[in-house]
Amino acid sequence: MDVLKGIDCKIDAGELVAIMGSSGSGKSTLLNVLGLLDDFDQGSYHLDGMNMKGLSEKQAAKYRSEFLGFVFQSFNLIHYKTAMENVALPLYYQGVNRRKRQELALQFLKKVGLEAWYNHLPNQMSGGQKQRVAIARALISNPRVILADEPTGALDSKTSNEVMELLKSINKEGITIVVVTHENEIAAQCHRIIRLRDGQIENE
Amino acid sequence: MFDRDAWLEIFNTVLSNPLRTGLTGLSIALGIFILVVMQGLGSGLESGVQETFGDNAANVMEVRTGNAQLAFRGRKPNRRVELHNPDEQALKNELDTMPSWSRLVYRWGSTVQYGNQQGSYNVRGVDPDQSEIGLVKLTAGRFVSPYDLAQERKVAVIGAQLVQDLYPKGTDPAAVVGTFIQLRGIQFAVIGAFDQSGSRWENRSVYVPFSTAQSLFQNDDVVSRVSIGTGDAEIEETRETSVSMLGWLKDRLVVHPDDAEGVWVENRNEEAEIFRQIFQGIRLFVWFVGLMTLLAGAMGVANIMAIVVRERTKEIGIRKALGATGSRIVGQIIQEAVFLMLISGCVGLLAGIWLLQGIAPFVEHDFFSNPKVNFETAMLALFILVTVGVISAVGPAVRAVSIRPVEALRDE
Repeated sequence: MDVLKGIDCKIDAGELVAIMGSSGSGKSTLLNVLGLLDDFDQGSYHLDGMNMKGLSEKQAAKYRSEFLGFVFQSFNLIHYKTAMENVALPLYYQGVNRRKRQELALQFLKKVGLEAWYNHLPNQMSGGQKQRVAIARALISNPRVILADEPTGALDSKTSNEVMELLKSINKEGITIVVVTHENEIAAQCHRIIRLRDGQIENE
Repeated sequence: MFDRDAWLEIFNTVLSNPLRTGLTGLSIALGIFILVVMQGLGSGLESGVQETFGDNAANVMEVRTGNAQLAFRGRKPNRRVELHNPDEQALKNELDTMPSWSRLVYRWGSTVQYGNQQGSYNVRGVDPDQSEIGLVKLTAGRFVSPYDLAQERKVAVIGAQLVQDLYPKGTDPAAVVGTFIQLRGIQFAVIGAFDQSGSRWENRSVYVPFSTAQSLFQNDDVVSRVSIGTGDAEIEETRETSVSMLGWLKDRLVVHPDDAEGVWVENRNEEAEIFRQIFQGIRLFVWFVGLMTLLAGAMGVANIMAIVVRERTKEIGIRKALGATGSRIVGQIIQEAVFLMLISGCVGLLAGIWLLQGIAPFVEHDFFSNPKVNFETAMLALFILVTVGVISAVGPAVRAVSIRPVEALRDE
């Protein structure tokens, strides 16, 4: 079954783009493709000028860890690891040594304002804090692009705004951010909105 | 494999999930524990039965003579057949070398005296090999030696009943060595004591050198009996030997081939064979129980591993999204599983051994003694359980890894 039919769009470096659409519109699938978590049958996807068609699993994992950072609705922190260990995990898979990992993790926790919480487990933190830890984790590998899947979906409006502010400030540093959301006020804070319907771009 | 970072990651994962770790560990430890205990109980049963009945059976053939019933080559019927020293020597030369060989002469109801105490006991003149053939359990001193035999020394090895009857109450077997007793009125030095526990009859015996007994207690060179140890010869082989030996003896001692009474060779391997079969049955039973335990344990382990990996689907998705390759995740799960199962397997093994060691001294029963665990069997069982655990972890792990992360991470 074709989920995405005729997506033709370009996201420039440094953009902050929202993807909107009702459930079943194909936004998750699109995010999968963008995040190199899923392959596609037709068409082409160029990331940083390189064609991502038909990557092996190993190559996909490599590009993921080099180019991409993920932020999820339900944070997806590993529940038995502390904030610092969670933030450091991407570097473990890049083969960075332990001391360097911890140093960088603390640095990025500081960036999201949570260095005092480095030794806390996820269930000892609020939703907003968890999402900030997740953002720090997405940032630690110096990605070009951050893919955020409903990053504020589980948060109240106040913390939602804090998280968006954080994402916007990251964007200002030159990191491209793609946010999937169904909340208009979140989308309104982005530079551009791509609306999906039945696997096609409805309007931009 | 010896990457420090990978190990730290594994320790971290294993230690921060106590419930999961506990369940997996318990299923392995329990499997090994039950297996070890079953094996121990089985071996205890076997050695218990062996101790109780084992003495009756032996890898021994015995040559005895009696009264020939049939006339043969001009000899009258109903005549006494005797085996003399030259016959015995010829028999020994006739046969291939046997593992052990002992001539015997008996003097039933011999008076034995120590100090003022005396009683009636059985004196047996034997060769040194009798110690091996009769499974004599020495409690002190030594058995009859070739030197005793050659010198016709007046030395005796006495049974536990004599120690109890003739010596002061509570005399240690070691204390009787070096004392002198009167055997049929002749002074003998005691060189050893034995105790065939459970056999009153055996314990009423006194062993002396064959040559001494023949020259002191009888005025001919008749050999009452020859006991031949067959070592670990197959039952078929001993059957053939006993048949050809009987044929040869009948010819030599002039006994009619059809005469059932003149001379006979009793092959006690036949009895031993029955016991071998009983033990084989016990062993088979123990193996069967062990196999079933292992199967149940393996199924438990497979179950737990499958559940554990399924429970980690989300974590696997996260790790994948953070740049881990599928093979790396599967590798880590396998390494974790092996590490955890080896540790808990050893715990189960030690607990089982500890239990057996703990109970063994307190259990005294005719059919149970000295439980032992075959270490190799235990290791093999551990290996099988770990292998099963790994195999049952790999399937779900590969499946979990092949799920697209966004699906794995989707909120239910």
